[in-house]
Amino acid sequence: MTSSSISSTVLTAHEIKRHLLGLILFIGLLGLWYWLSTGTRAVPTLIEMLQDDDPSTRIVAAEQLGQIGPAAQAAVPSLLAQAMRDGSQHANTTAAGALKSIKLSAARQVMTHFIARLHNPDAQQRRTACAVLGSLGPIAKPAVPALLAMAQDADELVRRNALMALASIGIPSPLITAALLDGLRDSSSLVRQTAVTQFAFTVPLTQPIVAALTPLQEGPDKAIATLARSALDKPKPGDATQIESLGMMVQHSPARDYALHQLAQLGPAAGEALLPILPLLGDEQPLIRYLASEAIGAMGAAAKPALQRLQERMQDSDPVVREAIADAVASIESGTTVVTEPSAHETHP
Amino acid sequence: MTATEPEMSTRLRVLTRLGFWGSLLAGLLLPWTIMLSVDIFVRHIPFARAWRSFSLHLFTPGYNFFLIGVLTAVPFVVLAVVILLHLGTAPVQHALVPRRRALGLACAGLGMLAHAGRTHAEVLIHPDAQGALAYLYLPIVLLAILPVGYGLGRILATMLLPRPSA
Repeated sequence: MTSSSISSTVLTAHEIKRHLLGLILFIGLLGLWYWLSTGTRAVPTLIEMLQDDDPSTRIVAAEQLGQIGPAAQAAVPSLLAQAMRDGSQHANTTAAGALKSIKLSAARQVMTHFIARLHNPDAQQRRTACAVLGSLGPIAKPAVPALLAMAQDADELVRRNALMALASIGIPSPLITAALLDGLRDSSSLVRQTAVTQFAFTVPLTQPIVAALTPLQEGPDKAIATLARSALDKPKPGDATQIESLGMMVQHSPARDYALHQLAQLGPAAGEALLPILPLLGDEQPLIRYLASEAIGAMGAAAKPALQRLQERMQDSDPVVREAIADAVASIESGTTVVTEPSAHETHP
Repeated sequence: MTATEPEMSTRLRVLTRLGFWGSLLAGLLLPWTIMLSVDIFVRHIPFARAWRSFSLHLFTPGYNFFLIGVLTAVPFVVLAVVILLHLGTAPVQHALVPRRRALGLACAGLGMLAHAGRTHAEVLIHPDAQGALAYLYLPIVLLAILPVGYGLGRILATMLLPRPSA
């Protein structure tokens, strides 16, 4: 006679315990599956996926590698190949976007490659080049002069992509804002709409932007008028609460890069946020150290208290961060924002 | 012909075990099954492509199908534990007690499955910007359905399984 047959309940206490143990094991197996499929453990599989025939697989793999960050260094060669040689523009942009989170110098390699392509006679090549440069975000700051030239291209899609890329790079803010304001007067409504969209969703407002957008609210183009209203609903220039919230955001991991990028675009007005930014110069992620240096540099003379900390970090392990720190020091010492000049190979023919 | 006491006991033991593991698996697999079904039957994507896309997005940030499955499974884990502790500890000598409990738990489980299935299908078939919020609220709603469904099941059991007259 088994224990269950003499049990007075449907299951014996022993059986209940065994089932509960089974449940714990089940949950443990799910946890193990998740652990093995995420973080650095997933890098080898994701590198294999970058070689897949299906572009959507390569795109998803690149996105995941970007999320893993510097720990995905092993994927840099494959991501470089995807960013520069893949036939799918979306695969190019996602790989480039991933590289900026993994290795800044690799992202700069992609930038150099696509700056040269901006001169290609094929308009599609120029459109792709603009899109990839935009996906690099503020890391592609040295590409700004070349992209400013592209904003005057004969092809409207090149002009549109160039404006989107400039807004995504965001720094140095005055040059980019001027190009976007020019875009508001473009002959193509697509380009005008793209320019106002950047003010509505990406670029922080300054006084000239407010002045340019205000009349557009009542303009004949309804889409542009709606976007202009959305843009003008955003925090106004000099809004202390905005600086305060961005200063708080830099202290919280998921939004640090966004907040630092916004502060870098606000320039000297972001001086109030200097203290929370300073510790990020020693962050483990090169992208965060780079953005922190850019944000401090953009403050100009207002960031004088950061000079000593910047000088201590002059020997940063990442060459791109070192360059940004040197620019920031120069900017603070001269009391102006350093604007990168286009190098010979970056100028439009 | 009515079942003898050992037969009834065996059936209840099997039912309890099936309910426990079925609840766990159904909670976890339901969202994934619906995701695949919507791709195949609503969007007419071939199975192989739908499966590939699904497995690609299991752990992709911004999609995280794995976490969606786990979130939906949480209330079903609670249901499984309730089945184990409530039905599993019912006295077999009084057949009416485990049968009424079984009906109550079956109603709760079916109600939870129906609501979870409908929510997942709605989010996928009519996607919008706030659709993903449904995945966060769903476990809370399912946990609320559990006692309500159980109560309704017990009322039903009282009507369908009357106490034998002495």
